[in-house]
Amino acid sequence: MADYREAPLATRPKTLDPNEYFNLSPDYRRAEAERAALRAGLKRQYQLQLNNPHRKELIEDPALNRWVYARANPYNHFKATKKTSLLGALFGVAPLFILYYVFKTDRVCYGGR
Amino acid sequence: MLKILIPTLFLLPTTWLTSSKWLWPTALTQSMLIALGSITWLNNTTDTGWTALNSYIGTDPLSTPLLVLSCWLLPLMLLASQNHLSSEPMNRQRMYITLLATLQLFLILAFGATEMIMFYVMFEATLIPTLLVITRWGNQTERLNAGTYFLFYTLAGSLPLLVALLMLQNSTGTLSLLIIPYAKPLLLMPFGSKIWWAACMIAFLVKMPLYGMHLWLPKAHVEAPVAGSMVLAAVLLKLGGYGMMRLMIVLDPLSKEMVYPFIVLALWGVIMTGSICLRQTDLKSLIAYSSVSHMGLVAGGILIQTPWGFTGALILMIAHGLASSALFCLANTNYERTHSRTMLLARGLQIALPLMTTWWFIASLANLALPPLPNLMGELMILTSLFNWSAWTLILTGIGTLITAAYSLYMFLMSQRGPLPQHMLALPPSYTREHLLMALHLIPLLLIILKPALLWGWFAC
Repeated sequence: MADYREAPLATRPKTLDPNEYFNLSPDYRRAEAERAALRAGLKRQYQLQLNNPHRKELIEDPALNRWVYARANPYNHFKATKKTSLLGALFGVAPLFILYYVFKTDRVCYGGR
Repeated sequence: MLKILIPTLFLLPTTWLTSSKWLWPTALTQSMLIALGSITWLNNTTDTGWTALNSYIGTDPLSTPLLVLSCWLLPLMLLASQNHLSSEPMNRQRMYITLLATLQLFLILAFGATEMIMFYVMFEATLIPTLLVITRWGNQTERLNAGTYFLFYTLAGSLPLLVALLMLQNSTGTLSLLIIPYAKPLLLMPFGSKIWWAACMIAFLVKMPLYGMHLWLPKAHVEAPVAGSMVLAAVLLKLGGYGMMRLMIVLDPLSKEMVYPFIVLALWGVIMTGSICLRQTDLKSLIAYSSVSHMGLVAGGILIQTPWGFTGALILMIAHGLASSALFCLANTNYERTHSRTMLLARGLQIALPLMTTWWFIASLANLALPPLPNLMGELMILTSLFNWSAWTLILTGIGTLITAAYSLYMFLMSQRGPLPQHMLALPPSYTREHLLMALHLIPLLLIILKPALLWGWFAC
């Protein structure tokens, strides 16, 4: 095979790096091969769907679905930690009181200018 | 008034008795004729302001713009729903049109009511067809949750209103809108009158919605089918604003003290919901939160009770009704093609559907209140009257305007620019029906630029 050289925007993939190949244990190499097989299976599924001439709908991306669900349902997994309580107080409770005080003082003492 | 009410009422036999081939064209033609007939209401020639007056219903410069908007919206709703309903059984299609027509009827009676109890009954009655549309024709399982939130938030807010109206009726003897501006104020103990003030306003503030009580709105808007979203965003929110404007006259001396918390909530809500818009992944959810943001500004304008505030609020209500409804229709064109509301999925549509991009552009510009559109006129009038009320509001409304521009542009750029996803095959080109729908939304908005005085309410001198 032609010698693979690294390009500025395309680094050498791990699978083609000779240093990585010879220093690895067989267990690690087996695990890597299994993972590569899983990835290839997913890619095959995607390609089958992509090139299916009878397909009319979008290809479903489970990662996108999970991400959209996570973005749309934060309250189900909300936990009152110190950080979230501080943020809630800072942006949800304190401004109301501060603004009430500001408007009241402005209108009562200075007549709204 | 009868020339609009009777045809609207008879839209119901029309939907059930026409043959399936002619159902949609007939319903559309009849509702379009009703809409064109309703424009004659804008002609207010009487001195007292009340036109088309009888014992129960009347129109005045405050209610005519909202009446015309709700009548104009029915043919647009039918146009938008035609595609997604075409695969359903005939009886369900007829039921859908029946629900929309009864909603229209209740809305006309609500905006035209001269007696507050009739307004209250119609205000509640509009909930039923909307609830049925959301829960029976929505697309996701969350629609039941959405319907529950929608119904119970509004009901819980409006039961105190019933008690408050009955107390007013006992004291004044009448609840006619022509008389109660001149009646004696309701004299209660100090704390009791504060509760009474809150009871009057909470129903409308929940409907508007005000920032703290807005949770029902994104759910209801997102889960509703397109006609439900359109009518919710364009008209039902304005019922809240209209009710507030009508009742403010009666509540007068109390309001000076009581409005502060609600103005604070409304203005802070403009910024908070605007910021949430920038984080949304769901297109309809973004448009729903932008509705909350604009209505926060309207609530602020109404609560300060100045002529410019009221005028700005009315103009912004009408302009936002048309622009928001247009955006929901555009979101629906995306949804019908990709069956997903995720913005990331439907990107780069300018390459695939360039003519629709024009409508996206105009609708996004309307949303961000570009001059000379009436959205800007409403926002500027509210901004300046709030500035007169207290100079510090300018910081909040200014940041709010900036954030509005940011998320409107974000919505436009996310959906139209960028790379078109490579796995999208079946993107049918834009139908003429969709172009007609968008034209009928945005051309009135552009025409209002030429004579906004039609929509200035009582102060159109």
